[in-house]
Amino acid sequence: MEKDKHITNKTFVLTAVLGSLLIMAMVIANTLWSTKQIASATDEAVSAVSTFYLEEMADRRAKIITNMINGTFESMERALDYIDREKVKTQEELRETIGRINSLLTLKRFALADRDNIVYTQYTTYTGASRHAFLSAEKLQDRIISDVSFYGSSRQLCLVVPARDLSVMGKSVKACFVQLDIDDIVDLLAFEDQSRTFFGLYSGSGVNLSGTELGPVISDRNILEAAKDVVSEDVWKKTCEDFENGEEGSMRFSSGGAEEDLCYVPVKGTGWEIAALTRDSVIKDQIRDISDKNLETSRNQMIFSLVCVLLLGVVLLAQLSMLSKRKLEKEKETSRSFRNMANKDSLTGVRNRHAYYENEASINQQIQENSLQKLAVVVCDINGLKYVNDNIGHSAGDQLIKDACSLICEYFNHGAVFRVGGDEFAVLLQGTGYDTMMETVDRFNRKAEANIREGRVVVSIGYSVLEPGDQYLHDVFERADQMMYERKKELKEMGAHSR
Amino acid sequence: MSIVLNQSQNEDVEMCKRAKIKKTYMVVLTSVFLCTACLRTVFAQTSAESEDSVRSAVDFEHELDSYEPLKNHYNFYFTYKTVHPWWDAVALGMEEAQRQFLDRGITITYEYMAPDVASAEDQRSRLLAAQEKGFDVIGVDVADEKIISPVLDEMVESGTKVMTFSSSDAEEGCRRLAYVGNTHNYQDGADLTEALCEKLQYRGKIAILVGTAGAPCHEDRARGARETIEKYQDMEITATEYDMDSVDLAYDLTMKILKDCPDLDGIICCNMSNPVGAARAVTEAGSSAVIVGMDHDEEALRYLKDGVIYCLGVQDCYSIGFDTIQVAVKIADGNLPGELFPEKTDEITTVVYQKDAARVLDLLYGDI
Repeated sequence: MEKDKHITNKTFVLTAVLGSLLIMAMVIANTLWSTKQIASATDEAVSAVSTFYLEEMADRRAKIITNMINGTFESMERALDYIDREKVKTQEELRETIGRINSLLTLKRFALADRDNIVYTQYTTYTGASRHAFLSAEKLQDRIISDVSFYGSSRQLCLVVPARDLSVMGKSVKACFVQLDIDDIVDLLAFEDQSRTFFGLYSGSGVNLSGTELGPVISDRNILEAAKDVVSEDVWKKTCEDFENGEEGSMRFSSGGAEEDLCYVPVKGTGWEIAALTRDSVIKDQIRDISDKNLETSRNQMIFSLVCVLLLGVVLLAQLSMLSKRKLEKEKETSRSFRNMANKDSLTGVRNRHAYYENEASINQQIQENSLQKLAVVVCDINGLKYVNDNIGHSAGDQLIKDACSLICEYFNHGAVFRVGGDEFAVLLQGTGYDTMMETVDRFNRKAEANIREGRVVVSIGYSVLEPGDQYLHDVFERADQMMYERKKELKEMGAHSR
Repeated sequence: MSIVLNQSQNEDVEMCKRAKIKKTYMVVLTSVFLCTACLRTVFAQTSAESEDSVRSAVDFEHELDSYEPLKNHYNFYFTYKTVHPWWDAVALGMEEAQRQFLDRGITITYEYMAPDVASAEDQRSRLLAAQEKGFDVIGVDVADEKIISPVLDEMVESGTKVMTFSSSDAEEGCRRLAYVGNTHNYQDGADLTEALCEKLQYRGKIAILVGTAGAPCHEDRARGARETIEKYQDMEITATEYDMDSVDLAYDLTMKILKDCPDLDGIICCNMSNPVGAARAVTEAGSSAVIVGMDHDEEALRYLKDGVIYCLGVQDCYSIGFDTIQVAVKIADGNLPGELFPEKTDEITTVVYQKDAARVLDLLYGDI
């Protein structure tokens, strides 16, 4: 049974350890697999994200321009109303009025053009037919948005609003217009991320209007001419068509070993395209940064979980160990208790006949091995137990037995006392008990004799020592028992009850 | 006679030969290296000079001089021959000067007017009308020196401050106060023609296209062209036509000239519209006539880039405009030519060829 219990504990511990290791291995493997999957998914996502990101970048800039254009058009309409209300009579009044418009409506270089194509600004009046292409039309119907290339490399965005039924100084006004420096527009588009992404503003023919560099390959060149060298003919043709028709699109090409993504979106109403470009590595780095942070967090969580599992396992194992130890001790205690119960006389508390037999077997073996030199047996018998039981009752008999046992134990305190029968005790003496046996026997006998006179418990004893030729303890016991009977007779003669 | 050499002598001879070969190699290599270095230096210098020359053809980086104007507001009137991009370029220089004065707190207002078709009579009436409006200074790009110069004299006589500007001054002796612009129109015509003659190896039939009849700058260039051609006996002027500063007319006239003279060898163009019309016609007619001409029209520069036009004389219109306003302010304050400004402020003309065309286009129009 002991062996079975040991195996069970070992199996349990082994299972627990192996289970923990398996869980840890699974967690680690799962983390590594997840890491690989995330890296792979990141790469796949980069290209898609690049496109979305660039489209967003380009679109935001396109909207800024569109909003600016729409806002300017609204201001120009208000300016025309204002001029109409002012009823301008002279050129000086007109210049002052235009000055107020420039200031109040924050319109830069607001100008009017009359039916003779004379242009009026805050400071100048000039004949403008050759300078402003839109004036070649006899009458203007709709708003006009056009980019103008000026002598001196200056590129401007010209916004024209036709004037209806407006006259100044007695001459009907054909239109008002403003010319916005494209450099100013480009300043509006400059976001904080210029170190990571590039953008450029292009005409429908690919001419770089913003003068910005669109990465190292396109640089500040005509985007269509530059792209011709780095993309396939089909992609290039499609890009040219997109630019011509004001469509959006994208390109992808390699430069210096890195992939570059380029998206372009039309700027509504202008015939322009806004292009944004970024290197794959930029997006990849950003996503990888995020991914690395997530992975690190995940890794830390995993390590933390493992440590927790490990600690929990250790605690559980320790608790289990303590539990089983306690259980074992309890079982041992119970076993000891049962054994005590089996070997103890319930009335007197000394060892019983069963215990005597156990000792006898062991002593017999020692006698036969000749390893035991000093052994004496004292056999004790209570005088008058039957008499007490019969005449006073069993309770008194039991008390007599207890008293007798106490007496025996008191005198033979260096020996092992056994109740071997109802009124019979045996004392095994070894060591000091053996050496002092005779003295003890004398003192006991005198006590017994005194007890007869005092009416107390009387115990007859006989004794014998191990002698050469004795094979068993029983041989010694028999001689002691014989002697006890002799003593019983003597005590009877002294007045003690024999039974 | 036979010479017998011993072993030691043979070795000496062999060593001498090797030393000579080594020397020869060294000399050749050094020479090649030096020649290459010289060529590279020369090429680099030439290239740099060409680049510098193109970059300085038009000066867009102007700053007002240290003159402190006496008033806070000036009002000018300028009139020129005809509505044309050439004068629009001049206008940009004027506007820059006006902005810089404004930054100093001085307001300059002005009218900058011209008729759709060049006309000395129209110019005279504009000048007289302007005289009535009390402008601080009246500036004019003379349409016809014979007609306009007396008008200017009368205006000066009556106390009006008058100056001339851009490319056509009044005739010699006119009392206008100052002139800002091209002072070498004759030489420009002569230089372009000389380049053409050299290209044609001093023989061939030549046509001359002029702008507005009577316009001093156009006439002077045409005269410079004629007198240069006359120097070479194998060269002949087959036609001289005036396009009145119209590209379309220049085209029509060139087509007519080519029809009349299919083996025409060269065309000298004396204004801005001439070379554009001529190049269109030459291209369409498939003629091999060599074109030389004036100014910076974008289309003309593209023809130059494509080799249809041989060379163009590019005037610095921006500087003309800028300096005109600066001088006008000084004149308005009662100053006369002298230390503050010369009686004639000369602006440069740069002859550019096909190899420079892209750079000029980039400089002027930001596109190559």
